[in-house]
Order: sequence, then C-alpha cells, then structure tokens
Amino acid sequence: MRAHTLLAVGTLAALTPRFAAAGTIDVDSTTLLNLQQQTRGGVPEQPFELASTATAYEILSLTARDLRGGGIDDLTFVVRTWGAWDIQDRRWDAGTPSNLNAELSTAYAQGRLLDRRLTLRVGRTEIAAGTARMLQIDGGEAVLVLPAGFRLSGFVGSPVSQRFTTRTGVLSWNATGGDFATGGRVGWSLALPGGAGRGVDLGASVALVSDAGNPVRQEVGADARLKLWDPLVLTGSGAYSLWDERLAEVVGRAAFSVTRSVLVEADYRFVAPDLLLARNSILSVFSAEERQIFGGGVSWRALRGLTLAASYHLQLEPGATEGAKKYVGQEGSARAEWQRGPTLAGVEGFFLQAFENGYAGGRLFGRRELGRAFVTADVLAHFFREKVNNQDAAVTGSLSLGYELLRGLSAVVTGQAGVTPYMEQTFEAMAKLVYGATYRKSEVL
Amino acid sequence: MNARNGALVLVAALAACGYKPVTEADPSKQPAYAFPHSVHVDAGVACAACHDVASAKKLDPAVRHVGVPSGASRQKPCSDCHDKDPKAVPSRPARDHRLTFSHADHLKLVKDCRSCHQKLPEQGDLVAAAPPMAACTACHYHQREFAEARCTPCHTDLKAFKPETAFRHEGQWLNAHGQLAKPSAESCAQCHDQTYCTACHSPATAATRIEVQFPERVDRSFVHRGNYVGRHTVEAQASPSSCRRCHGSGFCDACHTANGFSASAVTGTLVRPLSHTAAFVAGGHKNDARRDISSCAACHDQQGAQQTCVGCHATGGTGGNPHPKKFLDKHDAGDRSRNAMCRTCHKS
Repeated sequence: MRAHTLLAVGTLAALTPRFAAAGTIDVDSTTLLNLQQQTRGGVPEQPFELASTATAYEILSLTARDLRGGGIDDLTFVVRTWGAWDIQDRRWDAGTPSNLNAELSTAYAQGRLLDRRLTLRVGRTEIAAGTARMLQIDGGEAVLVLPAGFRLSGFVGSPVSQRFTTRTGVLSWNATGGDFATGGRVGWSLALPGGAGRGVDLGASVALVSDAGNPVRQEVGADARLKLWDPLVLTGSGAYSLWDERLAEVVGRAAFSVTRSVLVEADYRFVAPDLLLARNSILSVFSAEERQIFGGGVSWRALRGLTLAASYHLQLEPGATEGAKKYVGQEGSARAEWQRGPTLAGVEGFFLQAFENGYAGGRLFGRRELGRAFVTADVLAHFFREKVNNQDAAVTGSLSLGYELLRGLSAVVTGQAGVTPYMEQTFEAMAKLVYGATYRKSEVL
Repeated sequence: MNARNGALVLVAALAACGYKPVTEADPSKQPAYAFPHSVHVDAGVACAACHDVASAKKLDPAVRHVGVPSGASRQKPCSDCHDKDPKAVPSRPARDHRLTFSHADHLKLVKDCRSCHQKLPEQGDLVAAAPPMAACTACHYHQREFAEARCTPCHTDLKAFKPETAFRHEGQWLNAHGQLAKPSAESCAQCHDQTYCTACHSPATAATRIEVQFPERVDRSFVHRGNYVGRHTVEAQASPSSCRRCHGSGFCDACHTANGFSASAVTGTLVRPLSHTAAFVAGGHKNDARRDISSCAACHDQQGAQQTCVGCHATGGTGGNPHPKKFLDKHDAGDRSRNAMCRTCHKS
C-alpha cells in the first residue's frame, strides 16, 4: 500500500471517533449503476470497437460540524469518498488498470481558534483564494483574520492525482501536476454601512508549484471585490507568471442589479492558455499566444415563475499564421425557464463561432412533480459548422423517473439515447438510490 | 451492503448516539397557517396574550420558539373577545431557521415583538416569513462579520438560503463565481462545504462526471451536459484554457490512448488526426502549435521531455528554434539550470 493511501486511511481512522461527538452531521449517500457504450480501438480505416461498460458506484459524503472543546470552535470533519466496480468492460476514466477502485475526493479537519480568528484546515482540500485556482492538495491551509481588516492565508501540500498514483506533472490527472505546492494571500477588507456585503476586498497572492524541484507554476496575483453602491458589484483579478515574465490572466466583471428582478452583467477576460501548461512540460516553450473575451448578459425574472436570460461574448483568437490579423469569434445564448408549483419547463438556444469550428443548437427540458414521484425530460442538440468525425450533428435525449421511498431516501432511473459524431446510436442507463439527511444532537437555541 | 441497508445502519448508529434527523419539510406539503394575525394585531391584542412570552423569559433551554396556545377554545385568551369557539385552529408547521437565537436574551431588551417579526403569517400562508436580517442589523453592526465571513455562530447553516445581494447566484453565475471566490473564498464556505465544490472542481478524484450522477437535475447548469465527447474538440479549440483549468494531460490521454489517438499509444495502429499529414509533421504544424499548444498537449504531453518534439527541435536539430519571440529574453542560462526539461535540448 502506498504511503499516500496509508496516510489517507490513517486520517480517516483518526477522524471517525470525532464524528460521534459532533453537534450536526450531514450524510449523503449515492449508490449508482451506470450502463453505457464507449469507443475503443482506433484502427485506421476500420470502425471503432464498442465497449459496454457497467459500473457500480457508492459515493458517500459525511460532514460533522459544531464540535467544540479544547479552545477550538466549529471543529468540522468533512469526507467525500467513493468506490467503483467495473462489472463488465472497464471505463476509460477508471483511473487505474483495475476494475475495482476507490478514491477520496475530500477529507479534511477544520477548526477555528483564537475567537474564530484563525481557521486551520488539514487533509485533502481545495485552495480557492487568490491565484491558487482551486488547487487540490494533500496538505493544509491556515487563514488568519487580523485587526484593521487584514487577512492572511497560506497553504502547503502536494497536488492530488488520481487514485493516489503518480503526482508528476506529465502523468497526473491534476491540471497543475507537480509534487509540491505552496502559496498564500494577504487581503484587506473594508466594511461599509449599507446593504449586506457593501465594502471593499483587496488581495495579493502567490502560488508556487514544483515537480521534483523543477518549476511547474510560479504565479503572483491580485484580486478585488468592490461594492461601494449596493446595486453594483465589481470584481477583478489578475495573475502574472514569474517564470515566463508575462500576464497569465486578467478578468474583470461588473454586475448591476437594476431591480431585484433584473441583473445586468459585463465582463472582460484576458488569458494566455499556454501558461496553464506545466512549466516542466516541453510543450510550454512553443507558444506565447493570448486570447481576449468580452461581452455581457442580462437576467430578468420577468413574471411570476418566468426567468429570461441572454448573454453574448466576442472572442479574439490568434490568427491562422504568426502576425496575421486576430480571428474574431463569438458566442451567445438565450434561455427561458418557467416554474410554477410542481412544474418546471425551459428552452435554450446557443451558438459558438470559433476559428477551428463552431456550432448552433438548442435544448428543451422539463420537470414535473407527481406527489412523491417526479419525471424529467431533457433534449439537447448541436449542429456543427464543420463536420466532426464526418457527422454534422449530435442529438441526445434523456428521461428520468424518481420516487421518494422514505424521507431522505429516493430512487431515480434514467435512460438516455442519442445520435452523436462517434456513435450512430448511443444508449445509456442509470439507476441510483440516494440518501441525504442532516442529524442534530440538540436544538439550536 | 446496498445503499438502503447502509442508510438504515447509519440511521440506527446516529440514533444510538442521540442524533435525530432535522425536519426538512416541504412547505407545500405542510398545513397552511390558520390564524389570522392581522385582525388580532389591528384589534390591539398583545402578542403575549396568546404567545407564552413569560416562559421564554425564564431562560428555559428547551424553549426555542415562543410558544403558541396548544389549542384554541372558549377559554382564555380567546373567550375575552369570542363568545363561541373560533373556526381557526392554530397550526404550527414544521420549520427550521437554522439560527442561533435566544428569545430569552432578546425579550429583555426588545419590548415590541414587531421590531423583528415585521410580517406575520396569515390564513392560507404555507410559510411564515422569518424576520429579515435587517431586523438584526438594526441593532447589531454586522458589516465587519460579513466582510470577515464570520456568519457563525448566529447562522448555523446557510445552505437553505439563496443569496440576493452581493453573491446573487443569477445570470452568468457559472462563469462568474470563481471571481467572487478569489477574494471571498471564506464567504462561499459559509454555505458550501468543499464536498459541494469538489463535485465539479476535482475531476482527478471524482467518481464520475456530475452529469452522469445527476441527469435528472435539468435545472442546473452543467458544463459537460449531453454528448460532450462528441463536441469536446470544438469546445477545447475555442477555449483551450477552460479545459486546462481542471484536466491534466494524463486525463486526456487516458481516453486518447484507449482510442489509439495518443502518441503514447504507438502500436502500429496509431490514428492521427486527418490534419497530421506528412507535410504537417515535417513542419506544417508550426502555426497550429503556436496558436493552440493545448490541443497538442492533449496527445503529446505524456512522455515528459523525452517525446516527439525533441527529435527535431533539440538544439541543432532540423526543426530549428521553436521558441516564440522574446522567449530567450526571459529565460537565461539560470532558468535552464533550474528546469531539467530545458536541459533535454540545451545540453550546456
């Protein structure tokens, strides 16, 4: 058994007795069987082979909160784990060459100390603050709330890979890769009188990831949230690659609540996609292109139960050759959703025009509650500008039936069928039992 | 053990430890409120005439909500005004505000219940409007706690609430939420445990795609809905950075290898994209690699520095200098010594 697996099992074993002392426990369990067809082979001039996968999953989440004592407030234990068994052909994303797999998605202990001013989190966790970019690590994070609105956070750990296998950049499923990560953020916030959230948040951050001592990612960043006037929220962030000495990403967004029912948004994004590759990948030295996207959207709760939304963006992509004029792509979408009592119905339309290809399409969906049962339907269609695998469209549909067996315990079955670029006919089925509940040891006073 | 048996065992274990399930009753399945508050308030009937304020003042730890009469009758308080049994029988639909709040403490300071209970439930209402947070902030200055994301211990669980102000989850929320998380990750954590985030943000450790797990959630915005495999090339080329935020090259290669696309699947049956003609391999790939290197990485990033690019692009190789403009201005000999990958081509 690998050291990482031993560490994870040991952490779980150490945490388990603590669950029994918690004030609140959230439980979520899903037992799921998924049947689908996947392509295999890829022999030139011959059709793909079909693999029929039948995978049984057990997905379990446990959260224990409100544990106090020893000078620690809000001691919390969180675990999300799963096991899977490929009964027939092994699915391509099994993650290992084994038909039987298990994994920890999340497993951490969190406590607050010093009158809740210091938060410590240890275990398998994700780092969201600053320029960390949802880095998933086995390690820890500390957040310290200081006087005068200052806040300091730091993290250290090892980026997570699939099924506790190699963590090196070129083989890891983790987008960051590497075997060591550290970083942090210093922030300052100013609370202003007025509506909830009125004020200013400013921050500077750093994220450093290495792989056997070689650089994977070295970025500094800045971020801001401004709400000086209640209806308007401004956010922005930027990241700069220290290794490549150029901007990795800049994002700005304005959200204006015209009324409680109308939200208007405008956004701008600059990104250098090659800087998302690990710096120890040889592919990181071939490109230094950038893309810019700008546009906006509007959302309107038009009538009782009816919501309308639309968005449109322009995207400036690199031209066909070096020095060529940038290609102007665009994407847009519109959506109407109506909900009244036990009925939900919606329709969407969308399009994408990019340099290589594009599509237009639509979606119809609905849900109807029937006492303890429900039924949902969903049809999605894409029509490609350039053929994909010599096919010009993909259409899929699904029908789900659900029933609440007991309070918190439900059963759902789903059938899907479609015509896609890689499957002349595709069928998929899913059946699951879901249990979810919150348990309390005492009433809140 | 299947899920149902597992759930039963879990429930039994929790019950043995003294836990009880929180009632998450659907308001539409609860009895409607029957008592007409407005008529009585307008008539000047004091709240304490019906509600058991006195017991709440005694700091009884068992009292969470101020009590209402267990049954209406000709007896007091109703008989003070009514000479026959009222038709309406007070009902108490199950509710769970998930707040830490002591009526006992507040009743010492706040004399008028309507200071907080600004809207009372009327006949036919399924849900009683909880006092707005503005009622709390009228006395408690909470902006600092909000800024520091210290919602506990007042809010014990914010999952049931939908933000209406600074973190309004509407419009392009799916694209925008990351921007708000950067300066305010702790604010997100007030409502969402990381188990919620990892369902989408940890593809390396997820059991399966969230769309596979929740096909019935037609109301939710999912990135990979429907036949995503069929359109992933279109999406990846249009927005290469979107894929790379979550997926490492090894993830792409797991499927590409199974289908013979990957450079690591060289077995004599390698399937190259139609664009990869002999001329493309000989040098025609320059522009494609420059404008979208992420697409190259989906198949050619599996062997570290020892892979196909090196054969031609190593120093002195037939492929020439592959670096973009100004690359060498930013990477000197010191960088080459700190990155083993560089030394694959630059031997000295």
